[in-house]
Amino acid sequence: MKIGLEVHVALPTKSKLFCSCSNGEPELPNTNICPICMGFPGSKPMLNKGAVSSALGIAKALKCRVSGSISFVRKVYFYPDLPKSYQITQMEGAIGHGGSLEIEGKSIRIRRIQIEEDPAQLIREGALTLIDFNRSGTPLVEIVTEPDINSEEELRSFIANLRSILYYLGVDINREIKADLNISISEVRVEVKNVTGIKSLTEAAKFEIMRQEELLKNKMEIARETRGYNEKSRSTESLREKETDEEYGYIYEPDLTSFGTEGIPFSEAVFISVVSKELAEGTGVNSKTISEMTMLDRHTLSIISRLKERYSVRSIIHGIQRMKKYAPEEESEAAIEKIIRLVEEGKEVTKEMVLDAAAGRKISVNYSAVGSEEIADMVEKFLKENPEMLSEYRKNRKTANLIISRIATENRLNPKDVAKKVGELLDRYASS
Amino acid sequence: MWCNVESIKEFINAEKPSDYYERLLAELSALNREYHPFNLINEGLGKHGAFPFSTKANICVKGFETTAGSKMLKDYIPPFNATAVERMFGAGHFTFMGETNMDEFGFGTFGLNTETPARNAFDSDFVAGGSSSGAAVATATLKYHVAIAESTGGSIATPAALNGVVGFTPTYGAVSRYGLIDYANSLDKIGVMSRSSADSRLVFDVIRGIDKYDTTCSAAEITCSGRSTLFTVKELMEHTDPAIKSEFGRLLDKLGRDYEIREISVEALSKAIEPYYIIAMAEASTNLAKYNGYKYGFQYPETNLKYNDFFTEARSEFGMEAKRRIILGTFIRSESVKEKYYTKALSVRGMIIREMSKVLRDGYIISPALPIPTPKVSEAERLSPTQNYAMDIFTIPPNLGGFPHITFPYGKKSGMPIGAQLITSQFNDYSLFEFVEKWEEGFSMQYRHNLGSI
Repeated sequence: MKIGLEVHVALPTKSKLFCSCSNGEPELPNTNICPICMGFPGSKPMLNKGAVSSALGIAKALKCRVSGSISFVRKVYFYPDLPKSYQITQMEGAIGHGGSLEIEGKSIRIRRIQIEEDPAQLIREGALTLIDFNRSGTPLVEIVTEPDINSEEELRSFIANLRSILYYLGVDINREIKADLNISISEVRVEVKNVTGIKSLTEAAKFEIMRQEELLKNKMEIARETRGYNEKSRSTESLREKETDEEYGYIYEPDLTSFGTEGIPFSEAVFISVVSKELAEGTGVNSKTISEMTMLDRHTLSIISRLKERYSVRSIIHGIQRMKKYAPEEESEAAIEKIIRLVEEGKEVTKEMVLDAAAGRKISVNYSAVGSEEIADMVEKFLKENPEMLSEYRKNRKTANLIISRIATENRLNPKDVAKKVGELLDRYASS
Repeated sequence: MWCNVESIKEFINAEKPSDYYERLLAELSALNREYHPFNLINEGLGKHGAFPFSTKANICVKGFETTAGSKMLKDYIPPFNATAVERMFGAGHFTFMGETNMDEFGFGTFGLNTETPARNAFDSDFVAGGSSSGAAVATATLKYHVAIAESTGGSIATPAALNGVVGFTPTYGAVSRYGLIDYANSLDKIGVMSRSSADSRLVFDVIRGIDKYDTTCSAAEITCSGRSTLFTVKELMEHTDPAIKSEFGRLLDKLGRDYEIREISVEALSKAIEPYYIIAMAEASTNLAKYNGYKYGFQYPETNLKYNDFFTEARSEFGMEAKRRIILGTFIRSESVKEKYYTKALSVRGMIIREMSKVLRDGYIISPALPIPTPKVSEAERLSPTQNYAMDIFTIPPNLGGFPHITFPYGKKSGMPIGAQLITSQFNDYSLFEFVEKWEEGFSMQYRHNLGSI
């Protein structure tokens, strides 16, 4: 099974993509408009650099190659929601190419990230179709994946991970996400267009997979077609047979010559500040210190934001610190999660373990086999060499964990075994 | 003799009778009945500012119906001024006279692709040239007037030459296109027509300069780097009518006293017409897509039709040439042939720009403006579309490459004016005025009409 996605989300800019109308909450219909977003003859688009900055942030977070210069194309089609009868979008000159997003155990390739303008909104009222141009020209980012998603579960984790990355870039897709799904379980590719909302997206996929499987089981043909999703019946419906690709007659948008991306800052958005604030709340440590201490980049922060739901913040930070110390280049979420899990299980994370995790090998947790007498000697030796630890312990009994972990790491011992011995020895030394 | 003088300054400082503008308006109506230079005459002429300027009908003027010469834009009244117009009003000295006649959306060489074509200012049996036909006729018939015109592939140079006026097309990006109703955005340039080079220079200085509303508008400095050599291009001259060739030869003899004249071969320039029309039609077909009866264009009353039938009816009001360009342009953009035409045209255009840039570093390129003597309306009507397109042989290379060029009158042939075209490097626009001002010292055009004389 192969699933590819084209996800559209709204960018959180102050103004529309090509004019200075506000990109705000809906007002009265057709009040937030101007000659540019209405496509008046004679008007020309002017590019909103804030949208570029925001999209660059997303491209970076999804590990895309960022083009040194970007350009636009006209996608021509007739529809009442499109006042110019072409949409300004991107192709070769898109903002980012060739990225990836990690989900459990694998990487989903991102083909392209592009910015484009949203058409107006069509409102059906009985026999009438009304047009509200307030939305016309608001900025969208389109994220196109390769067909690397192979199951419903993978689709769900892809969307969950994408959602958290976008969330920390200030893009909240809980509010509005629109996607086209390409689903093929055989040779034939079926497109499900304009699915709105995360829930519908997974439901549409679920239905479509089921439908195609059913057809295959009954030895019936799957038509190459475009389908729509009906939210009420939770099913997909055929819109049109697709003999050939649609003809949009793309040409370069000559009103927007190519722009260099060098001068435009990446959107720092709320990302670092929000995540470190949340971490700070969990640990009591100053949020600035957290970002500095852990040298967190956006990618790592987005991983943290997802893992936070399953692991304690302490384990996450500890695990990531270990990761950064022994394998600073490693970015895979799966590897980081393995290490965090070890921390959570109370294991001491060694350099070997980190390297195993980074290489995708099975992590060997082989502690030195020693008797309890030998452990007692090691503890004794440690306390003699580090008298300050003992005096700390006298003040605060909780530092015992720190002593245990240092002894276990230095001697490659199982911390649980050390803990058994440390208790009595510490109390003995402390009182002497 | 007022040549080589800014008539703008002369006029502003002159004593004018109190009913000057009223009389001028009456004269304009009479003129328009015979020559049709205006699509629209501003009855408020003279109310704000003094010196009359007109705009080509594809340049938006707030509150005035601006149709680009098309029935599809009937009743379109822009709620904003084009940047060039805004700057003319802002300068304080200029009064809006009206909108000038043109080929529909700028599609034409002779000004005939419109309901009531403008006629040549020297003889109404002859073509005015296009597509800025009305701008040239108004300039040639009005003593005190400048025209804001527009060129995509020769729409300033050709009509200016045929009516014996100066026609200046700036470097692409020197003047904002905001408010220009698009023909082909990567080729369109707003420029000026006037009776003297000095007037064109003055107006150019008013309207040029960077504009946040047009991304393609450039902040580059305009230079005045004179050249001492005049190149003629063999590949272009080969297609010239013998009568024009001999007149042009006499011009070169005169210019030879001050400039070195050399014939060169620039193979690339013989390949300019095809990429020009491919790019222009591809872009035009996307620009005209909005005139489909939904939001813009002819509102076809019957909406209960099938998809294709509705658009066929709604777009029936386009003229023949516009329909031709929509069909060809749409074909050119289609996936199966795009590489072969559109993509290739873009690369040939790049090659032509490189070749011309090299040549223009060492001298101006000079040529006639039109390869044939001014045709009669009846003669031009008989030309096939491809014969029509071939008339642009001299004007297309600088337009395709965005090079500034100017046409200036240098004589008459059988009573009809003839003009030459001078091209220079990008952003060296001022040198063109300098050249023509020097030429005007020894030549002045005698016009048949001088409406609005004081």
